Amino acid sequence: MLVLSRHRDESIIIGDNIVVTIVDVRGDKVRLGIEAPTEIPVHRQEIYEAIKRENQRSAQLNTADVDELQ
Amino acid sequence: MEIGTTRFGTIQISVADRVCFPAGLPGFEDCRDWVLLVERPDAKVGWLQSADWSEIALPVGSPRKFVPDYDIRIEPHDLRPLGLESPKDLQIVAILGQLSGDLTMNLKAPVAINMRRRLGRQVVHVDDWSIHQVVRQWTAQLRKIA
Repeated sequence: MLVLSRHRDESIIIGDNIVVTIVDVRGDKVRLGIEAPTEIPVHRQEIYEAIKRENQRSAQLNTADVDELQ
Repeated sequence: MEIGTTRFGTIQISVADRVCFPAGLPGFEDCRDWVLLVERPDAKVGWLQSADWSEIALPVGSPRKFVPDYDIRIEPHDLRPLGLESPKDLQIVAILGQLSGDLTMNLKAPVAINMRRRLGRQVVHVDDWSIHQVVRQWTAQLRKIA
């Protein structure tokens, strides 16, 4: 993993169109500003992973599993 | 055109029925073309069926039919790729799931569709809604039948 040191208000650029800026640092919490093209989804990783797991579980369901809701 | 589905057999759809998810869905990033299948206009449950993979389909429902106080609050940057011209074009569905036998709904990450441009995206609600909101308890139903 590439590790870079940055101060508040400094940025890194990924490719030529994604910019991540350190907006604020307080204790163990860092606030990031992310500018990316709208077609690139940006997620908090743990939320993305949870959504992914849930989608994959939902795709296992059959019509009989949800019939009772009709 | 015809698409094959594991759950519903071969179905006829027109190109206009398809909904494009340019980023796919989390877990199904390569599935860009989907069809929203609803048996009847008043049905509470529909299916988001992949147009390319017959076995991939997700049961969905209108969240407000199950959780009346659910409000849609999504960050503008999350909705921007849909290119909405009017809020009337926006349809929100939530994906149904199953947890310990209960039927649940993912209210944290609903699916937003621009029905006019046929563009969709799974978005993230800004508030703390559950990924597994219980909409029907399994045991309660069984006891009633017994």
